[in-house]
Amino acid sequence: MGTDAVVLGAGTAGMVAALRLAAAGASVLVLAEGEGGLPLAPAQIDVLGYRPQLVLDPLGEIPGFLDSRPDHPYRLVEAAEVEAGLDWFLELAAPLGYTGNPHQNRLQPTAVGALRPTCLVPETMAAGDLSGGGSVLVVGLKGFRDFHAPLLAENLALARPPSGAEVRARSVEVSLLGDPRDLRPQLLVRRLEERPVLAELGREIRSRLEQEDLVGVPAVLGLERSHEVWQRLQELVGRPVFEIPTPPPSQPGQRLQQHLFRALRRLGGEVRLGARASGYRASGDRLVAVKVVTAAREVEIPADRFVLATGGIGTGGITAGPEGELREEVFGARVSRGGAPEEPLAEYMATQPLDRLGVEVDDEQRPVGGAGGALFENLWVAGAALAGAEPWREKSGEGISLATGYRAARLAGGGRA
Amino acid sequence: MTAVVWGAEAWAEVRSSLDRCIKCTVCETACPVAAVTELFPGPKTVGPQAERFRTGDHSPDLSVDYCSGCGICSRVCPQEVRIAELNSRARAELKRERGAPLRDQLVARPGLLGRAGRPVAPLFNWAMANPVIRWAGERTLGIHHKAPVPRSTTRTFSYWVGHHAGAKSARRVVYFHGCSTQWYEPHIGQKVTAILEHNGYQVVIPKQDCCGLPLQSNGLFPAARGAVTRLARQLVPGGTDDLPVISSSTSCGLMLKREAREILGADSPELRSVSQRTYDIFEFLLELHHRGELRTDFKPVPLTVAYHAPCQQQNQLIGKPALGILRLIPGLRLVELDRSCCGIAGTYGVKREKYEIAMRVGEPLFADIQAEGPDLVACDSETCRWQISAATGATSVHPLEILHRAYGGS
Amino acid sequence: MNTWDTDVLVIGGGSTGAGVAWDSALRGLHVTLVDRQDFATGTSGRFHGLLHSGGRYAVRDPGSARECASENRILRQVAADCIEDTGGLFVSTPEDDLEYADRFLAAAQAAGMEIEEVPVGVAVRDEPRLNPKIRRAFRVQDGSIDSWKMISALLRGAQDHGATVLPYHKVVQVIRRGDRVEGAVMEDQRSGEEVLVHAGCVVNAAGAWSGQVAGLAGCEVGVRPGKGVMVAINHRLARAVLNRCHLPSDGDIIVPVRTVSVIGTTDHPVADPDDTECSPAEVHQMIEAGELLVPGFKESRALRVWSGSRPLLPKTETSAGAGDREVSRSHTVLDHGARDGVEGLVTIAGGKFTTLRLMAEDTVDVVVRKLGREAECRTRTEVLPGSESHHFYWIGNRQQEAETDPPDDPLICECELVSQHDLDTVVARRPNWRLDDIRRALRVGMGPCQGGFCAFRVAGMLHQGGRYGRAEANSALREFVQERWKGVKVISWGAQARQTRLDRWIFEGVYDLEHLPE
Ligand SMILES: Cc1cc2nc3c(=O)[nH]c(=O)nc-3n(C[C@H](O)[C@H](O)[C@H](O)COP(=O)(O)OP(=O)(O)OC[C@H]3O[C@@H](n4cnc5c(N)ncnc54)[C@H](O)[C@@H]3O)c2cc1C
Ligand SMILES: Cc1cc2nc3c(=O)[nH]c(=O)nc-3n(C[C@H](O)[C@H](O)[C@H](O)COP(=O)(O)OP(=O)(O)OC[C@H]3O[C@@H](n4cnc5c(N)ncnc54)[C@H](O)[C@@H]3O)c2cc1C
Ligand code: SF4
Ligand code: SF4
Ligand code: SF4
Repeated sequence: MGTDAVVLGAGTAGMVAALRLAAAGASVLVLAEGEGGLPLAPAQIDVLGYRPQLVLDPLGEIPGFLDSRPDHPYRLVEAAEVEAGLDWFLELAAPLGYTGNPHQNRLQPTAVGALRPTCLVPETMAAGDLSGGGSVLVVGLKGFRDFHAPLLAENLALARPPSGAEVRARSVEVSLLGDPRDLRPQLLVRRLEERPVLAELGREIRSRLEQEDLVGVPAVLGLERSHEVWQRLQELVGRPVFEIPTPPPSQPGQRLQQHLFRALRRLGGEVRLGARASGYRASGDRLVAVKVVTAAREVEIPADRFVLATGGIGTGGITAGPEGELREEVFGARVSRGGAPEEPLAEYMATQPLDRLGVEVDDEQRPVGGAGGALFENLWVAGAALAGAEPWREKSGEGISLATGYRAARLAGGGRA
Repeated sequence: MTAVVWGAEAWAEVRSSLDRCIKCTVCETACPVAAVTELFPGPKTVGPQAERFRTGDHSPDLSVDYCSGCGICSRVCPQEVRIAELNSRARAELKRERGAPLRDQLVARPGLLGRAGRPVAPLFNWAMANPVIRWAGERTLGIHHKAPVPRSTTRTFSYWVGHHAGAKSARRVVYFHGCSTQWYEPHIGQKVTAILEHNGYQVVIPKQDCCGLPLQSNGLFPAARGAVTRLARQLVPGGTDDLPVISSSTSCGLMLKREAREILGADSPELRSVSQRTYDIFEFLLELHHRGELRTDFKPVPLTVAYHAPCQQQNQLIGKPALGILRLIPGLRLVELDRSCCGIAGTYGVKREKYEIAMRVGEPLFADIQAEGPDLVACDSETCRWQISAATGATSVHPLEILHRAYGGS
Repeated sequence: MNTWDTDVLVIGGGSTGAGVAWDSALRGLHVTLVDRQDFATGTSGRFHGLLHSGGRYAVRDPGSARECASENRILRQVAADCIEDTGGLFVSTPEDDLEYADRFLAAAQAAGMEIEEVPVGVAVRDEPRLNPKIRRAFRVQDGSIDSWKMISALLRGAQDHGATVLPYHKVVQVIRRGDRVEGAVMEDQRSGEEVLVHAGCVVNAAGAWSGQVAGLAGCEVGVRPGKGVMVAINHRLARAVLNRCHLPSDGDIIVPVRTVSVIGTTDHPVADPDDTECSPAEVHQMIEAGELLVPGFKESRALRVWSGSRPLLPKTETSAGAGDREVSRSHTVLDHGARDGVEGLVTIAGGKFTTLRLMAEDTVDVVVRKLGREAECRTRTEVLPGSESHHFYWIGNRQQEAETDPPDDPLICECELVSQHDLDTVVARRPNWRLDDIRRALRVGMGPCQGGFCAFRVAGMLHQGGRYGRAEANSALREFVQERWKGVKVISWGAQARQTRLDRWIFEGVYDLEHLPE
């Protein structure tokens, strides 16, 4: 009568594991202290972008990458399973129009105008692949502090994709909504769902278009109605329009998160936010229940199988203390530095001591216990909680979460206990 | 094991949670108020950020008053920053410093409003339904003329209790009914009693006053502290200091469970004990069910019911136990409404300057309800039910009314 | 070469130099002040932020205590806008000798400090985070002083009286003819151009660098830089300055400075005042020490670490006579004419931020005498620009302003409440400012996220406004990130480690700064 599977963490990894488990017939409860990286992340699914040289075929280059980084989480997942995971995701996220080819990276502009490799993107970003060059009108919105079109365009114009094709970029700034001097993202994204406001934006852009064949805008084209907003804007402008990710908060990330939450709910699963796992009860090498803090007391939530997807140091799944002590917070699982140096380096853009931190796991993604065996036979780890990756540099964040979350669910097994 | 701390330490713990804020903006994306008005700069800004500028002597900020206290921000924050709790405290400081306007004092004392209305209830209800008089109310009291205001009854719940001969049983629970059951919706209390008795419990219903939550949310802390400690004493009538305390009001239940400790800094032996033992009615029933002790002699209820989990119930961090129970009822078509807030947030939405905001907050929920066209809307919180009915015209009930019906009640 | 004449050339734009400039200008002298970097970037911008009541020196150095007590009173009158009146507490922790407390009280009274013993219960009630095990508590007139505001006000005041001030002008040569110093050559650190200034008198106020500057004139000054480390904690743990009541040692003061609490400090001799490295060991020493005053201090979020160098002179140096008043022992005015036979050069060294006014008075007394002028010091009563209303600032100021008159333009730095308008205003005043200078002036990037959000906004806006070219904006962004890393790399634990992770995602993940063109 209880729960088949409890997943700790509501980020990409936890949600992927939960969705797979639920699809396989398990009753699933996701317990999470809060939301994960998704509402902040561009929602571009990176698989592998730099090793450290630019990667063009992410799936194809993973084996070569692993030669130099044998501790990397990709070691845990067969290429075929990574691909299956990506295919499954494309299907799942079809309502958001995700597209991409696991064997071919796309090069999409960032908010400062670098060309960044990524693999799968939502429809609202699809036209932004500049691998083959292009001519872009970058549109800034007056009063929106997290998008600076002139700098973006000037940098972008210097970008050189490997194809050698030319990227041309020009920027304009349009005023929306009279002259509001502070466009807060939460309000802006909703205002753009209003037809007259969108029409105004379309008119403004259209009147400033010259020879450009693409239009890049900050990623604020609506939340729940993004498909409609994006499509209508293209019609109004008469050119393909693509979103360029902003610093947090990320609207595309929120869309994807909402989509994943809803999909799980439709499968009968539950996401419980604000619920911090604080401990566990085990019987021998089987985990019986996790403890969770509620408003009044700590309660036990029993289940048959468990997935740990608490996200590592960024979300507090792993903590670092002043004396250098590292702790996995729920189970006290063994933490590894993943080969990172002990002392900080002076240069910021380098591998720093805590960068590759994560839970040490066996080949089955189970935390390593005292004698080298699995800590618990029914606990699997997925996502940023795993040691060995530097996803922001490698461009591998969501890819790792997807692949390891997908596999964790398979290992945990579908169906009812 | 996570130790629960009380008194000054509880607030110190909440306050120092501001250190954990990494400015990630997750809370900003989830706050329903910041999404609809420029007047409110958002949870990160008025919460952990503004707290760094507060000394405790003098409030430097005002806009925190637009926070509805719905608590969504605290739930979505991945860093366990107690944003809503910081805000509650800051709002209270603000009111303490500047004086709570009459409006706040009135809405904050449901008993007072109820009592004033009771002897002439029909007249009062008529008055509240009369637009001209409601307009006058807005002027003088600051209550928005369209705001959902409860109708008081002529017979209180305690009156009913006085005439109810409950069954005796070795399994007993204490029932904490809260003010709205007492003054406005005595039938809720009657049904709670019936459901618990149906499951073999003797229901102990001590005389009880307000938990102080409305006072707290309007910044009247000392009064609120007094109220909740008095209530805790009332809830341990002779020899009952180990019984579950069942609450059918989500916000009042949360007050006992956590807010009294964390936000008010209240502390007493009775309060500590009651707080640990407080259960939401459905939390309690679902535990019974998990132990195989819930009676499932349900009659079919051939209705479409849309369920909305209110913020204050979500803030108890117990999931949506009502869904778990209602799903067991045959014939019932249950639709989970997937929206975070109806806007009312206790008494927030009845205030003149906040009514519009509250209505906009609730819009997506109202639209979903209208699109769904259910026979009934179920929601555990009384003020949310009033808001939902006022905004959509739908009939709203407490989910336990549906359970009561499934058990054969009328 | 651009050349001009001036009465007094002040080398060094820290508190001392700025004080000398203000004092000289008020006495009607024409002043030119130069600094190799921006103002307040030496020790004065890297200090602890405490407006001393004198308590720290009461037992061991009564002279300094008396000076602090009286200078404290004067600054509160003339520079209120630069001071937060936090008050201070000296408390005997369980590890402190109670007998010292008696000596302390007596010495403080003798030094003319306003001091009052308060019951432990009262102290703990007023400061809920204070160690409840303290055994005695004394309330004193400590305050918190904002170096940027103070030095800006002094320089603005001096400029209002005709002074010329030049940041980024490094003295590369002191012009000496025979036994006389006649001026100096400065190199503009940004354009590379040189400037020659002829001066009636040169004041060496280069703090821990004053040995180097004196060396340019062929004089030897044995300044010994003493490095001190400080750690800022994310929020105020106390309203008042908390001091341990014992013989001064390391890490025994916590100062509420703006939105943060700063614990300090240490004292290690270093060879080079530009050595600002902070070792993990020093940081831990501070964090541990904080526990005694505020239990749980270790769990609080460390935000940033930095260090500054004290300009200490050997005890053998004695001040040039300052009339018939008692010669201060805490700072020293060296008249190189009398000392080394080199006329036209005066070095002022030692001292404290709190006593900057007195240091300037003593220095300029010597200067006017050497210039053969006669002018009374006016700084005791002359109110600094910005302090006319005599209101102290308080922590909530920015928040209150932002709330009562909400800026209708975007906030750039949310942590420290800096709007685009603020940014436009400062860059209009000083067009060629670097991002890091802007940070100091506005406190942009000094909040919990350490620039995670605002660095990009500032760079983008300055580029858009035409202040920065593309490449400049890119490198400003990179430098900003690098500079912030310097202050957090040794405190990467707890919440700050999480912050670092988010910042990595933003800078390297979302922007891909690593692959941005130069
Ligand atoms: C700013 C930003 C930008 C990013 N950009 C990209 C990008 O461009 N491309 C890309 O591929 N990836 C990107 N990512 C990474 C990506 O979004 C995810 O962070 C990553 O996939 C890791 O996901 P996760 O599910 O493992 O962990 P997280 O997303 O970190 O989720 C961890 C979850 O665990 C919960 N949790 C932690 N401790 C507990 C506990 N004790 N009990 C219960 N729950 C707990 C948290 O609340 C959270 O729900 C970005 C991330 C960020 C923050
Ligand atoms: C760790 C620490 C904590 C302290 N805390 C406090 C406190 O809390 N309260 C207090 O009252 N005092 C405190 N002090 C003392 C006080 O900070 C210093 O005494 C005071 O700031 C020194 O100011 P200054 O102007 O003499 O030196 P600085 O501020 O160092 O100024 C000297 C300037 O000279 C410039 N310069 C150097 N070489 C050249 C050149 N060749 N050409 C041009 N310019 C040059 C430098 O760039 C620098 O700006 C502290 C000191 C330290 C080290
Ligand atoms: S969600 Fe939490 S950590 Fe993020 S900005 Fe809000 S309060 Fe800060
Ligand atoms: S409590 Fe609700 S209204 Fe208040 S800041 Fe949090 S989410 Fe917004
Ligand atoms: S980037 Fe900062 S300075 Fe800016 S909002 Fe953040 S800590 Fe502040």
